[in-house]
Amino acid sequence: MLKIDQLISGYGSVQILNGANMKVEKQSIVALLGGNGTGKSTILRAASGLIRSWKGTIEFNGEQIQNLPAHEIVGKGLVQVTQGKDVFPAMSVTENLKLGGFILKSKQQLSDNLEKVYNYFPRLNERKDQLAATLSGGELQMLCIGRGLMSNPKMIMLDEPSAALAPQIVLDIFKNINRIRQDGLTVLVVEQNVRMALLLADYGYVIKDGVINVEGDSKKLMYDESVKESYLGGTKANV
Amino acid sequence: MFNKLRIGKKGENIIFGTFVLLYIGWCVNSPDMNIESLKSVLTIGLSVGIIYGLVALGISLIYTGLDVVNFSHGEFFMIGAFAGLTMFNLLGNQDWIFNIFPDAYGWIIYVVCLFTAFVSMGLFGVFIERVFLRPLTKKGGGYTVAGMGIIICGFGLSVVLINVAYLIWNPVAKPFPAELGLPMEIGGLFLPITYIWMIVVGLSVAAGLWFFLNKTKMGLGIRAVAYSKDVSNLVGINVPLYISIIFGIACAIAGIGGTLVGPTYQVVVFMGYIILMKAFAAAVVGGFGNLPGAIVGGFTVGIFETASSFYISGSHKDLYAFLLMIVVLMIKPTGFFGVQVKMKA
Repeated sequence: MLKIDQLISGYGSVQILNGANMKVEKQSIVALLGGNGTGKSTILRAASGLIRSWKGTIEFNGEQIQNLPAHEIVGKGLVQVTQGKDVFPAMSVTENLKLGGFILKSKQQLSDNLEKVYNYFPRLNERKDQLAATLSGGELQMLCIGRGLMSNPKMIMLDEPSAALAPQIVLDIFKNINRIRQDGLTVLVVEQNVRMALLLADYGYVIKDGVINVEGDSKKLMYDESVKESYLGGTKANV
Repeated sequence: MFNKLRIGKKGENIIFGTFVLLYIGWCVNSPDMNIESLKSVLTIGLSVGIIYGLVALGISLIYTGLDVVNFSHGEFFMIGAFAGLTMFNLLGNQDWIFNIFPDAYGWIIYVVCLFTAFVSMGLFGVFIERVFLRPLTKKGGGYTVAGMGIIICGFGLSVVLINVAYLIWNPVAKPFPAELGLPMEIGGLFLPITYIWMIVVGLSVAAGLWFFLNKTKMGLGIRAVAYSKDVSNLVGINVPLYISIIFGIACAIAGIGGTLVGPTYQVVVFMGYIILMKAFAAAVVGGFGNLPGAIVGGFTVGIFETASSFYISGSHKDLYAFLLMIVVLMIKPTGFFGVQVKMKA
């Protein structure tokens, strides 16, 4: 569904990605793992069009998307879900969700999708008239995922959905991600929480210094010594 | 821009209130103080104030949406006045309008002029943004406060626009003789109807903008872009288009302001500069970047300026707006409805 080939990109004149390759199959959950500053988020930002790719191709559904502006990529059905802090704090939960469905043309579709999101996350329904600034960390993450689902995407890319959340809430959110996949979406999840991400995913990539270092089936990666090394910079530790 | 109104710290308010009381005391002691003069001061102050408020609204809108202060906004106001005047001169000798509407002749022409100024300035603003400001943002990573180039460009644009207007319309002040009927009597006071008209139209424009931003889909998109351009991109908003729309709306509102001022004063090439400065003062007094604050700040500056020149001394009329701005910056740096830092950080 998503195919990234020899991607080179970065910010300003700083090159972060040095030819990354990866592939996400339809209706699968793929985890992209790596430490800080290895280029995980940069791949996401390049795929969703927030930064230009300097070289290489990004293919989505057989179409090259690396030169499209960000809002057109959303229209193609590839949506990046931001971290929980990136909501619109001065707007209500409903307004935030409606913004997620900004590209939808019909009002009927919008209210249908709103129902769908409230069905995934009943907590958001309870708080639909509150300002987003008043939500807790877990609720903010739910709001971000819900906002991503509003535009009828074919694939969502999550940027560290477990960041700064309690394990109980992370579990809850990951269950919902699994449910989203069962409903027919493809999911790419960028994570620092290796264990949780590999439990959820079918396939995993580990990125180091802007290139994919290790890849493989998530069951296999879970016990792979080289993952621990590449992830923790060579320190042997119990992940 | 859209957070809840916050009315400052207690200490600030006490000091500021003391200043206000002292000022009112000073005015009341003036030998000119009576109920008639107070009425006219208030009406003129409000009508001048709404003009400052409209221009300040545009400055605040551009500041929240694009994160830059537009120093050429006064020139959009001036060119808007000329656009209205040009339309007025075109329609002024058309007999057929008079034949169809013999009673409301002047009003209809004037409304058409206002509409012309609104639309033409909106399009002109989009043009300026696309052609002159957009290329500057390519290197600096979008519209940010760090983009000093855009601010300097605003100053330069102001000089260029003044000189272009000078070439087209020459520097002679031109009358704008809109026929809006006889002066109106309000409580024993005869006022040119244009004063009332300014307040009514100005408040309607502000209310219309509020409705547009809060109740329409495009308004929702504008608010999103104003908060974060990255996140707006990710939900599928065409951010470059919306930045143009924000700039266009701000310029269109300034254009309406120019055409509203025309019949009361005169239309002249240099009218934009002082209006920009006073609108800036109004925006600071109301709380920079706060839209209701811009209108309230406009009214405050207008009334303060009119009252001071009436009761204290009329020979330094332009001084008072900036005096008020300095006092507000000293005592309440966030203005009346200061923007909470956490929303813009």
